[in-house]
Amino acid sequence: MQPGVLSPQNNPAAVSVKLEGVVKKFGKVTAVERVDLELPAGKLVTLLGPSGCGKTTILRMVAGLERPTEGRILFGGEDVTRLPAYLRDITMMFQSYALFPHMNVYQNIAYGLQVTRRPKAEIKERVVQVVQQVGLSGLEDRPVAALSGGQQQRVALARSLVMQPRVLLFDEPLSNLDAKLRKRVREEIRDLQLELGITSLYVTHDQEEAMAISDLVVLMNKGIIEQQGDPRTLYTRPISRFAADFIGRANFFEGRYHGGYVEVAGYRQPYRQEGISGQVTVMVRPEALRIQPSGEGLEATVHQVSFLGSTTEFSLDTPVGRLEGVVAGDAPELPGRGERVKVQFAPQGMFLLPA
Amino acid sequence: MAVMRQSRPGRISGGRSSAWLPALVALLSLLMLPWGRTDRSLLEFDGKLLVLSQAPGLGVLLLAGLAVLVVASLLHLPLVQRGYALVGLGSAGFLAGVGWLVTTGVPFGVGALLALSALLVLIGVGLSESGIIQNDPFVTSSILISSLFVLLFIVYPLFTVLRESIWIKGVFTLSKVQSVLGSPLFISIENPYTPQSEQFRVALTTLALGLVGAVLAARGGLRAGRVFAGLGAGLVLGWIVGAGIYGGGALPTSLYLALIVAPITTGLGLVFALLEQRSRAGWVRRSLAIVSLLPLITPPFVFAFALIYWLGRSGIITGDLLGLKSNFLFGINGVAIAQIFAFTPVAFLILRGSVQGLNPAFEEASATLRAQPWPTFQRITWPLLRPGLAAAFLLTIIESLADFGNPMLLGGDRNFLATEVFLALTGRYDPNEAAVYGTVLLGLVLVVFALQRLWLGNTSFVTVTGKPGGGNFSPLPLWLERTLQTVLALWGLAVVLLYFSIFYGSFVQIWGINNSFTFKHYQDLTNLGLPVLLKTAQLAFISAIIATLVGFLIAYLVSRQQFFGRGLLEVGSMLSFATPGTVMGVAYILAFNTGPWLLTGTGIIIVLALVFRNMPAAIRGVISGLSQIDKSLEEASTLLRAPSSTTLRRVLLPLLIPQLLAGMVFSFVRGMTAISQIIFLISPGNALATVLLLRWIEQGDLGRGAAMATVMIFGLLAVILLLFAVSRCFGRGTSLDAAV
Repeated sequence: MQPGVLSPQNNPAAVSVKLEGVVKKFGKVTAVERVDLELPAGKLVTLLGPSGCGKTTILRMVAGLERPTEGRILFGGEDVTRLPAYLRDITMMFQSYALFPHMNVYQNIAYGLQVTRRPKAEIKERVVQVVQQVGLSGLEDRPVAALSGGQQQRVALARSLVMQPRVLLFDEPLSNLDAKLRKRVREEIRDLQLELGITSLYVTHDQEEAMAISDLVVLMNKGIIEQQGDPRTLYTRPISRFAADFIGRANFFEGRYHGGYVEVAGYRQPYRQEGISGQVTVMVRPEALRIQPSGEGLEATVHQVSFLGSTTEFSLDTPVGRLEGVVAGDAPELPGRGERVKVQFAPQGMFLLPA
Repeated sequence: MAVMRQSRPGRISGGRSSAWLPALVALLSLLMLPWGRTDRSLLEFDGKLLVLSQAPGLGVLLLAGLAVLVVASLLHLPLVQRGYALVGLGSAGFLAGVGWLVTTGVPFGVGALLALSALLVLIGVGLSESGIIQNDPFVTSSILISSLFVLLFIVYPLFTVLRESIWIKGVFTLSKVQSVLGSPLFISIENPYTPQSEQFRVALTTLALGLVGAVLAARGGLRAGRVFAGLGAGLVLGWIVGAGIYGGGALPTSLYLALIVAPITTGLGLVFALLEQRSRAGWVRRSLAIVSLLPLITPPFVFAFALIYWLGRSGIITGDLLGLKSNFLFGINGVAIAQIFAFTPVAFLILRGSVQGLNPAFEEASATLRAQPWPTFQRITWPLLRPGLAAAFLLTIIESLADFGNPMLLGGDRNFLATEVFLALTGRYDPNEAAVYGTVLLGLVLVVFALQRLWLGNTSFVTVTGKPGGGNFSPLPLWLERTLQTVLALWGLAVVLLYFSIFYGSFVQIWGINNSFTFKHYQDLTNLGLPVLLKTAQLAFISAIIATLVGFLIAYLVSRQQFFGRGLLEVGSMLSFATPGTVMGVAYILAFNTGPWLLTGTGIIIVLALVFRNMPAAIRGVISGLSQIDKSLEEASTLLRAPSSTTLRRVLLPLLIPQLLAGMVFSFVRGMTAISQIIFLISPGNALATVLLLRWIEQGDLGRGAAMATVMIFGLLAVILLLFAVSRCFGRGTSLDAAV
C-alpha cells in the first residue's frame, strides 16, 4: 500500500467531531441517553458495546441518517445537527458493504465523484489512484458480485476514501469476514487511517478489534457511555464490573482492602490502589493468576486444564468461587485435575471496584 | 435538486438553495401562461387569462413574493433561516392561489397548475433546508406533491360522492337518501300482481336461516354472544337469500348474486390450487398456468358476451339443442355464470399463495402421529387454509358487487347496485341519486373489507418464508384427484368453447342464422373500431407509464422514508383500489365537472382515472421489490453525496426494472380492459374500446363485437408474452400475483 496524493501526512481537512448532550428516542424507547463525546481531529475513535447499546445509533446520527431527539452535533465547531446526510462530507463503510450490485468495481468507486459532477479526467485519475492504494488494480471491470469478501471490503473502502471525506465512519465493517482476513484488513484500515489522518469513528462489538485499532475506545452500555479512554487504561483500570467484563475476560470476587493488602478468604495479597478501602469487588485478569503447589496464597483445587496451542487455560475452585486463568504456551508443569494448590494474583492484572 | 453548496471550507450550513429553480418556474408560468380558462381545453391561450389581468391583486402579490425568493435562493445565506422563509412565503402563496380558485370557481389553467406545483416544491425545499423535516428537498417535495394528487384525485372525489348524496343544491337534506332507499329500484319485496305474499316468504326464509345460524353457533358451545352472532348472521343471510329469490331491487339482487358467486368461485379456486400443488398429471399444471393468465387477457364481460352465443335466446344450447326461446340467461343466472368464469382465476391466484404456504412437514408430522388422511386434512390442512379461503371469498364478494359489465349485458330486468349508479346518472340524469347508490355500494365494500380485517386481523394469511417449503406433499387420494381433475377439465372445456365462440363469431355473418364465412366484421372493425382501439392503447400506455412512475415514487416514500402522515398516504393511495369502479366514475364526474378542477370531457381525465386506479398494483409490486433491497445501498449512495433523486435514479431504478416493467404492463392491460369507471368519462373523440364493445353488443352487432374482442384478446396476449420474454432476459421472474 503506497502513499498517494490523498495522503497529506497531517490532514489539514480533518475536523474534530463533537456530540453535545445528544439524546435519541425511537417512540418511547430511548436508544441513546444524553451522550457527550469528542472525536479529536485525525484520530480513530471506537464505539464499543453489546448490541442494542446505542453505538450504531450514534454513528448514524453523526452520518446524518438519524436526527438526534435532543442535543447538537458539531463538525469542527460548526453545528451540523440539521444538515442532511449528503451534505456532511462524510463517508461510511457498511457492515454489508452496500456495494451497488448493478455496477462494476470502477463504477462503484467512481459513483460519488460522478454524482457530485467532477470532471471526467479527475474522476479517472482519482479512481485509478485509490484502486492502487487499496490493492485492487486490474479488477476495475469486474462486477462486484464476482469478488471475494475481502475484495468487496476493499472496494467499499476505496469508494469511501476516494471522496476524501472530513470524517470516515465504520459500521462493523469486518463482521462478515473470517477471523484471519479480519485481522489483516483491520491492520490495513488502521495503516491507511494513520497515513491519511482522517477523523474516524468505528463501531464494533469485538473488544479485541477495538483495542487493536483505536486511539480512543468509548465503551457504551444501554444508551450511555460507560467509560472512555485509550485501550490500555480501559483494560487496566475499568470503572465498573461491566467494563471489566466486556473488555477482556475477568474474574470477580468479594474481598476487603486496607493497609496495602487485599484480604480474600484468609489470604492477604499485597496491593496498592488510591481512593478505595473496606469491602470491595476484586477484579483479576486470567493472565494474573499465579499457581504454586504450596506456600502463601488462596486455597484452590484445579478443576480443569485445557491446552489450546498458543495458550493453556485452566480453572480453579476456590472458597470465593471458580476462577479462570491462562498461561502462555504449553505448561506441562501445571498441576492436574483435582490437585490442591495455592494461587496468588499479579498486581498489574488486578483492580478494585466498590463492592 | 442538490443544494448547490460552494465548497468553502469551514461553513457548510449555508450557501445557495435549489429553490431558485421552482421559484423561477412559478414566476415564469404566472407571467406567461393562463391562470384560469373559460372552457374545457387546457391549451387555451389569451392575454385576458393571465393572472395579472384576471386577479391583479393576487398576481402582484405572488409575483413579488416569488421574485424575493428567487433572489434569496441565489445568495449565500444560512440554510435554516432561509428555509423558514421559503416555507412561510411558499405556503402563503399556495394557499392564496388555491383559495382564489376555490372561491371564484374559475377552472384552473396551465399556468396555475405549474405555479401551484412549483410552490409546493418550494415549500418542500424550505421544509428540508430549515430542518423541520429531515428529508432532502426532493423527498419532501415529492411527499407534498404526491399527497396533493392523492387528495385531489382519490380522496376529494370520494368525498364529493358522499357530499352530493346529502347536499342538494346547497342545502343539507336526507330526502334524496330516503327517496332512493325507498324506491322499488333499490328494494322491492311485494309484487302486487302475484297472488302469494312475497313479504311473507322473505320473512319465513329470514327466520329459518336465522334459526339455522343460531343452532350452528350453539353447537360450538352455548354462549349468549356466540348464539346471538350466529342468529344475526343467519337473519342477514336469510333476508338476502329470501329477498334475492322472491323480491327484487338493486340491494338484494347484488348481495344475493355475490352470495352465489363467492362460494362457488372460492371452491373452484381451491380445487385448482390443490391440483396445481399435488396433481400427478402434467397437463393439469400446464393448463393451470394458462388459467392464471386469463384474467389478464380477457376484457371484462367477454364471458358474458360469449354466453349469449351459447345460452342466449337463440343460443346454441338453449335455442338449437333444446329448442327453447328462453330468457334463462338474462337475470341473476346469467350474471352469476359469467362472474364465476371471470373471477375463478382470481380466486385461484389468491388461494395458490396460501396453498403454497403450507408446509408439508405439518402433514407429515400428523401422519407420523398416526392420523388418517381425512383427519389430517380436517385438523391440519383445513385450519391453515381457512384464512386464505376467507380472503378469496371476501375478495370475490367485492368483485361481484363492483362488477359492471356483466350485469349491464346480462342483467335483464333485474337491477344491480353497480349498474344503477351508472343508469341513475346517464339514464335518469340524477347525479344525487347516483351519489346515493355510490355511497351505498362503497359502504358495502368497506364493510366487507372491515370484515376481512376483523377475521384475518393484520396478520398475513400466507406463511411467507421467502422459500418454498421443502419436502413432498402426499398426493391426493386417487378418487379425489380424479374428481378434481374432472372439475378442471369441464371448466377448461367451457372456457375454451366460450373463447372459441368469440373467435368463430367474428368470422361468420350472423351466428346461428347465417353461418357463412366473412371478413365483414373485421372490415367494419377497421373502419369503426380501429381508431378507437388505437386511442385506447395510447391513453392506456400514457397512463401506464405515469402510474408506474408515480407508483414507484409513492412506494419508495411509504416504504423507505419516515414522515408524518406516511400511513395516510399509503391508505389514501390504496383507496382507489378498494373503491368499485362505478363509484369512482361517478365520483370523478361529480368532482371534476365544474368549478376550479374542471377536467371532464378531456382525455386527461381518462388518463388520470386510469393512473389512480392502476397505481396501487404498481405500488405493491415496487414495495415487494424494495423489501428485497438492502437499505444500506441507499444510505451508501446518500453518504457518497447523492441526493435522493439521484439515488432513486441511479441505484433503485436499475435494480427494480423487472418490477417496474411488470407494473407497467399490468397497468397497460388493466387500462385497455377497464370499463366501469371509464364509461362515465368518455367524450366525443375520447371513446374507448371497451365502451364501444359494450355498445355494439347491446345494439346486437355481435359479429363486430366478436371481432373487436378477438383483436383485444390477441393483442393483450402478445403484450403479456412480450413481458415474459423481456423479463426472462433480465433473468428474474415476474410474479403474476401482483396483478390480482
